[in-house]
Formats: sequence, structure tokens, C-alpha cells
Amino acid sequence: MATKHIELIAAPPEPHFVGDGFRVHNFIPSLYGLDMKRMDPIIMMDYNSKFHFTAVDTPRGVGVHPHRGFETVTIAYQGKVEHHDSSGGGGIIEQGDVQWMTAASGVLHKEFHESEWSKKGGIFQMVQLWVNLPAKDKMSPPKYQAIKNAEMAHIPIGQHGSEVEVIAGTYQDKKGPASTFTPLHMYNVKLKKGDSASIHLPKHFNTSLLVIEGEITVNQGEDVPTDYFVLMANDGEDFTIEALEDSIVLVLSGEPINEPIAAHGPFVMNTRQELMQAFNDFNQGKFGYLE
Amino acid sequence: MNRFEFSSYLNANVDLEPSCMQELVKTCPTKKIKKGEFLLQAGEISKYTYFVEKGLLRQYSIDSKGKEHILQFAPEGWFVSDRGSVFFHQSSVYFIQALEDTEVALLEENILNELAHKQPSFIEFNNRLLHNHIRHLQNRITQLLGASAETRYLEFIKLYPDILLRVPQTMVASYLGITPESLSRVRKEMAQNHR
Repeated sequence: MATKHIELIAAPPEPHFVGDGFRVHNFIPSLYGLDMKRMDPIIMMDYNSKFHFTAVDTPRGVGVHPHRGFETVTIAYQGKVEHHDSSGGGGIIEQGDVQWMTAASGVLHKEFHESEWSKKGGIFQMVQLWVNLPAKDKMSPPKYQAIKNAEMAHIPIGQHGSEVEVIAGTYQDKKGPASTFTPLHMYNVKLKKGDSASIHLPKHFNTSLLVIEGEITVNQGEDVPTDYFVLMANDGEDFTIEALEDSIVLVLSGEPINEPIAAHGPFVMNTRQELMQAFNDFNQGKFGYLE
Repeated sequence: MNRFEFSSYLNANVDLEPSCMQELVKTCPTKKIKKGEFLLQAGEISKYTYFVEKGLLRQYSIDSKGKEHILQFAPEGWFVSDRGSVFFHQSSVYFIQALEDTEVALLEENILNELAHKQPSFIEFNNRLLHNHIRHLQNRITQLLGASAETRYLEFIKLYPDILLRVPQTMVASYLGITPESLSRVRKEMAQNHR
């Protein structure tokens, strides 16, 4: 089997605030070489690297906004997020958990730091991804998957107690709990210093790594420090991640949907006409109502 | 929120000779401002009409009680200017502020005049632009004088399909001349009618 090589290593770009609660580095689609097509079906990646939020009485976050045409995946590494939506749904994403929201035909929602967490403040670290939907599923009904850490597949690897935590897809035939519309693998590779993980993924799947903790070497060649992003080339199937210190690496790999993308703000559709329809529907209240 | 170059706007709307176009684009500098910064503040005299290439501006005044009134939003492809200040050199009563990181082309009045002398098609274009602007203002005055909150809102979303996603609702209410509570009620009623 051929080696999957590194195509690009990116430092975290200048952060910006989303609302007042999320201080994020946007890797996809704003970095050069990482437009919505390159990591298709992952069309957006915001990374809130470790940031200390002071204690406040009114939780920080982002107010009511709509989405249509894709899924949002929120991975809470540190801190807690509370969310509410226009269909009356809501919940708390606890540390270590993942929320997989299929916005599809449309939701209005808001996301804030959980109120008790906000009162104490602390280190907050989170990834939010947008996963595109194929045209045939863009207008399907919205749904949630609240994925607890304990439900994920935990596969022990290495000599020192390392593991691969599977959120979606499979690792060594062990399946993660998230259901996806197109083939997609999502793992947290949790390595103790000196351990390494062998990853096998189809050549044509768009694949990337984000170093959440620690420092790693990929394919025993390139060192990648904390908060750096790695885009893997579509030139092979196999690569290795070795931990230079205790590390956590988010691995994303998906089969490209290869359909036209028409995106504007919080809507991602296939044509401009569908995009205009999304704005009209939102303005006319067809996404529902949320205070 | 795609970029809208001033030169593309001109190409699409006015038949200018390439040399004139080049000169115009060359003599119109662009400026970048950060969210929250001002292009104009009350009391100043403005030299420029602004064309928004990227981002979003608002033009507003503050009344004697300290309340803000938004006259206009200017997203990509819109012009904004204080005509009293640019054309009649009066000190401005308006603030022009960026609501997002914004890039504008700066159009100086005398450049437009020179261009009109050189190229008659530009006069026609400029007239059309002014008449269109007057029509917009007439509509807006009529709405503010007598239309219901719902009618004002429906006109607003036709004119500005994506602004509601880019600014707080209090600003939209200020533009519409209604209270934020009325705007919220209108939007809630519309949402309920779709259930």
C-alpha cells in the first residue's frame, strides 16, 4: 500500500470572535489551498484553541442564527456548550462529547457557554465543523445526534495506554456512533509520548489532521506542533502519527461529494437560486422562531 | 458576502471607454476599515462618496435624546454618501460606520465631474443613479409616513435579503422606524403563519 504524504502544514491563522463566546481560527475555507472543495465534504473548520474565559453572570456565545444544507459538528474538548433551537430542542454538550446537528432543510439555533460553567469561567477548547450534505439530502428534516464520550468506540493502541476514539466511521473495523449521510471517518487519536498510530484511509478520501494537544511527527518526517493543521495528499492510503509528547489529534477523512457548492453566510446549497430561496425562507420565518 | 469590485460594477452598468475606465479606477483609491471604525462622523465635512466592495456600512444620525436612527445600510455593491456634505460642503449630521471589516472605493466629486465632461455616457449613467436613489428615498419616506410594521419589514427583506443575518435586530428596527419589540412580533407572526 502506498504512503499518504503531507500536502500542507498550516499554522493557526489569526483568531476572530464568533459572537462573544467563540474565539476561533478558521482553517477551512479561508486558508489558501483549503477552500470548500479541497476538504469536501468538510466545508468549514473553526478551531477555538485553548482560551481562558473569565467568569461572567451572562453566558457568552452566539445568538439566534439559521443554517441550511449541511450538518454542524461540535467537538467539546474543554468547557461546555448549551444550545437551543426553533423546534424546541436543546441540550448541553459536555466536555469530551460531540454534538452532530443535521441542519438540512433548516434550523434556527443559538449556542452559548453552559450557564454554570460561565459563572466559574475557565479554559475553553472546541472544534466546529460543517459537513456538507449531498443534494438529495439538503432538504431532509433536521435532526440531532448527541454523542456522549462513553458511546464512542475506544480502541487501545501502542505500548503506553494510547487509544483511538472513533466518533464517526471506522478504525480497525470498530465503528463510531455517529450516522453520516456520506462516508466519513472522524477520530480523536489520543497518544502517549512515544506511541504511534497507523492510519489506513482510502486514497480519494480528503483527509486532514488537527493537533489539539502535544506535538506529533507524521510519517516519521515532519514535526507538527499544537494547534497546527495538516492536509494529507490524495496519493496513498497509509500514514503514521507518532507522539513526541502526550498528544491528541483530530483526524478527519471523507469521501468527496463532488457537487457544485453555492454558499453564502449560514447557507450551503448547490445553486444560486437555492441560496436565494434560503434567504427568502429565512426572512419570511419559514425556519421558525426563536427568541 | 462576495467581493464586488468597483470596476466590475462600472463594467456592468456604464459604457465607458477603456482608457476612461482605467483612469477612473486608478484615481479612485480604496480604503480598508475595521468593524466599528468610522468613515465619517457628525460635524465633519465629507469629500467622498463610498462604494462598498466588501463588508457592510451603516449611515446613521443621533437625535437630541441620544437615539440612533439608521438612514441606510450599504452592503457590497452599494453607494453611501452624505450629499449635503459632499456636494454642498455642509458639516455632516451623519455617521458612516463599518458593521463588518469593510473595503470601499473612494469617489471624489471632482473626479466624477471631470469624467462627465470627457464622456457623455457617464452623465446619463450618473443621472440614472441619482434618479434611482431619489426613487428609493421617496419609497422610504412613504413607508415611514404610513406603512404598517409588517409592510415595512416585507419591503426591507426584498431590498436587503441578507442584512438580517449580518446586523442585530435592533439596527433593523432602527432603520424601519419601529421598536425592536414590533419587529420581533412581526417576525414571530410570520413564522407562526408558516406552521
